[in-house]
Formats: sequence, C-alpha cells, structure tokens
Amino acid sequence: MKSRRLSGLAVSVFGVLLTAQPLNRLTAQHFSVGPQIVFGDYREVSADLHYRGVGGGAMATVTWKKLSADVAISKLTYKPANDGTATQQFDAREFDVRLRYFISGPISAELGFVNRTAKPEFEAQSMGAITAGAHMGYLLGPGVHMALRGGLMFGPRFSGGGTISPLGALRLGLGLNVDALRGRLRFNGDYDFQRVSRKTNDGSGELPAPIQQSLGRVGIAVAF
Amino acid sequence: MRTRLSLAILLALVSAPCIAQTIQNATLRRAQQAFDNLDYRQALTAGQAALRERLTGYERARAYELLGFTYSGMDSILRGVNAFKQVILLEPERDLDPTKTSSKALSAFQVALTQVLVIRQLHVDSVTFVGGQGVVAVRYTVTQPARVVTRVVSGQTSLKIDSTVASGQVNIRWPARLPSGDPVLAGDYNVIVEATIGQNNFATSLPIRISHGAVDTLPHLTSLPGYTYLPETEVPPKSWRPMGLAAVYTGVALAGTAALSNGNLGSTSMREGGVIGAGLMLAGFVMTLKKPAPQPARGNILYNQLLREQISRRNTEIAQENTRRRQQVALSVVPLPRTGGGR
Repeated sequence: MKSRRLSGLAVSVFGVLLTAQPLNRLTAQHFSVGPQIVFGDYREVSADLHYRGVGGGAMATVTWKKLSADVAISKLTYKPANDGTATQQFDAREFDVRLRYFISGPISAELGFVNRTAKPEFEAQSMGAITAGAHMGYLLGPGVHMALRGGLMFGPRFSGGGTISPLGALRLGLGLNVDALRGRLRFNGDYDFQRVSRKTNDGSGELPAPIQQSLGRVGIAVAF
Repeated sequence: MRTRLSLAILLALVSAPCIAQTIQNATLRRAQQAFDNLDYRQALTAGQAALRERLTGYERARAYELLGFTYSGMDSILRGVNAFKQVILLEPERDLDPTKTSSKALSAFQVALTQVLVIRQLHVDSVTFVGGQGVVAVRYTVTQPARVVTRVVSGQTSLKIDSTVASGQVNIRWPARLPSGDPVLAGDYNVIVEATIGQNNFATSLPIRISHGAVDTLPHLTSLPGYTYLPETEVPPKSWRPMGLAAVYTGVALAGTAALSNGNLGSTSMREGGVIGAGLMLAGFVMTLKKPAPQPARGNILYNQLLREQISRRNTEIAQENTRRRQQVALSVVPLPRTGGGR
C-alpha cells in the first residue's frame, strides 16, 4: 500500500517537472512520455480460451541521432469472452522495449524484448522473448508519422513450459503519431499483434498450445 | 559703281558699331568717313596718315583693314593683299564674313592668309576623363606648311606634346600624362603652338586649367538586373498519396494479422488493428485534404545559389575595381579665356 502511494507521488512529481520545463528547452530535446489506454484480445491453446481486456499503460520514446527507443508498459484485465469457455479473468502486465537504428530511407532495424506476466499465474502463460525485426516509418504530413513493423521473437520462455520452432513466434505492428502544439504534445496509437506457435510435451508427444494477442494502445504524450 | 555702293553700305553696317565704340583716332575716323562716302582717294590718304600716328593695336588693324577694303575696291589687289597681311599679323583670328564682304576683298584676304605664317583657331575641348584612359583634343589651323611644335607649359614644367610639319587644320590627341606615365599635375597651363619656316616663325597660346578629382566608384550589387531570387520552397499539389499510403499500411497490418493468425484459435480479432488502422486512415484523409507542407525546391535552391555566387563574384570584381579607381584621378581640362593674341 505504501509503495503504491510512493509510486503515485513519484509520477505526480515527474508530471510537474515535465510541465514546468521551459518551452525552449523542450523543443531542443527528443523525448516523450505519456499515459495510454490499452485494450486487447488474448487467445491461448484453443478458441475456447478467449479473453478481452482493457487497461492502462504508459509509453516513453526517445530519439538520439540515428537511434530511437520505445518503452511501453501496460496492465490489462483480461476477462473471458462470450464466445469462450474460460471462467476466470486475469491481469496481464506487459513490458515492451524496442530499440531502433535508422538504416536508410524509411527503414530502421529494431531489437528489443517483451515480457508479459499473467496473474493469477495459472490462468494464462507468462512469457518473455527477445524481439528483432524491421520498422518502416513514413511522414504522412506535417507532424503526422506512421509506421509499420514486423519481426520475430526469439528464445521465448513460458511459465508453463513449451517450445517453438525458430520462426514460430511472429510479431506485427502498426503505429501512428500526431504532433500537436508545435510538437509539444503527441497523440499516439499503436497496434501490436503477437502469434506464438507454442508446443508442449507432457511425455505423450508434442501438442500445440498456441498463444495469440492483439493489443491496441491509444494515448497522449508530452514531448520535449 | 553699284558694287562699290553696296560694299560701302555693308562695311558701314559691319564696322560702324565697332568703330563708334573703340576708334578714338581722329585721322582714322576721317578715313573711315571718306570710305563711307566712297571717296577712296581721301580714304587712302587719311588711312596712311593714320598709320603714321600713334594707334592702338585694334586701331592699327582697323586702319590696315580699311586700306585693304579700299585697295580691293580700287581693284589694286596686290596692295589690298599686303594690307590684309598686316591685318592677319595683327589679329590672326580675324575672319571676314563672306555674306557681308565683297568677293574681291574676300579673295584678297584669302590670298593674304596663304602668304603669312600664323596659327589660327587654336582650340582645346573641355573634357573630363580618368587619368590614362582618355585624351584631350587640341586643334588649330596653320596657314602655311611649317614645322609646328605644340607644348604645354606651366612654370618650370614644359611638355612637348606634338611636333609635326603641317598645313591647314591639325588635330592632336593629348593623353595628359607625364613622361613617367603619371597624370599631369593639377594647375593652370598654357598650350603653346609654335610654327617655324626658316627665319619666319609664329606662336600662339591658349590657357587651360587642369584639375584633379576622385574617380566615381561603383555601387555594390544586391541583385542582377533581370534576375530575381526564386522561392526556395514550393507547395506540392494536393494528392491522395497520404490517404493511399495510410490505406496500404493499414491493409498490410490487417492482412498480415489475418494471415499470421493461428486457425486453431478461432476467428482473429480485428478490433485492435481496426481502431488503430481507422485512426491512421483518418489521419491520411486529413493530410490529403490539408494543404501540403512546403517542400524544398531543389532547382530553385540551386538557381538562387548560382545567383548569389554570381552577385558575390561581381561584387568582388567591383571591390577590386573600386580599389583601383580610388588610386586613380579624374582629370578635368577646361580652356580659360585668352588674354592675348599670337606673335
């Protein structure tokens, strides 16, 4: 309880610091951070384990020369969907880091990792993996950026065990950034689709236990 | 008789105002009166008597001129020529008005001109030029073939600017430079023209004033005439490209989602991708309708760069030219009123 209060206080102080920054200093930097509304669709093993959820999160981006990075955290409460047979809801906390290096034209290389923790532990798979792929950005108009990205997830670890083939975990994403107030405020939207062709073996042979998640994030960020 | 009468009337018209103003000698006035009355013998007697008296230069010239007209009227051409020769020696610039003078007197005067050595009609044009880049035009008429030397003199300075054997009109172009090549110093000078034939010589002069001034410098250029800077950005025409690209990106994302979905997990949820894709399509549509942001016009930028370089190069040349001009002088040559005749 005490730690929650402290984190709330820290967020407040951080927010005050951000808004108190002089504008000229803000424009000289390339960093943004802000809250997001997160909504998702989660499926596991079969069509019966189907969840939908809504939650909150935050996203921070930083750009320095040819390097840029996105860090997104989110917490969703997945509830069983009407078309499934699941009965228990669970919370999913996701931590997603993506580092990019600009190569040429619209193309950047992307490397990162993703970690999702389910609570209660046995209601869904917690997993972590290293991600690698490509990012294709395009300036749609003044202050409007869009991006398409895709990649693979390597070396995933699951709380319930299991393995995947080398190309068994894929990721696809779509992003949108709209600058406002001369770039000081940034509206963003982000779509992230993950498909993991997980297989388990309890001694009776390999059984498919796929995991699939669609995640949408919509938020606002202060840029400076 | 009729000719003599008209000649007399003409002479009276031409010379009367001058005589009334300047002739003080009574004998000469009596001679003029006799000539006006067509009493040539009396005019000759009185005229020759006047020449033996004390006369001013002007009166002496008028006395000889009267004798010249009288002899010409009496058809004594040789004596008329001799009288006119004296007139020319006394007043080298003297000319007879052909519309108001009898042909006999005119021809006698022309013959007299060819028999005396004088320099006439010495003239220097007013001119201003940059030292070393222009000339002063000097012209004169010499009545007989003679060695003519032209000098410009001021105090101790004497510059020979021309030496030639000539007859008739002579034109000289003087660059107004010292032997060292420097422009002549500012000051008052005399242009002296000396003509010599054997022991016979004649000289005349014309005062001139040479002054120095600064040479005008050129202003620096801010633009080239006829060439203007072009806008370095241009607004591209509206296009559906943003909308199209947004549709392509969204389509790829949604189609990719559908293609990559695991069939065992049921129908794929397009809600999340649809929301973000719809936002992207909306942004693309707005960007399509919105006035496009100005884009750098590469051709115009290069053109402006060339223009700036050209102006800069020209200004560098102008600066060099101005530096050179500041070391130059503008010579101004003006003839001054003549104080005396030649001799």
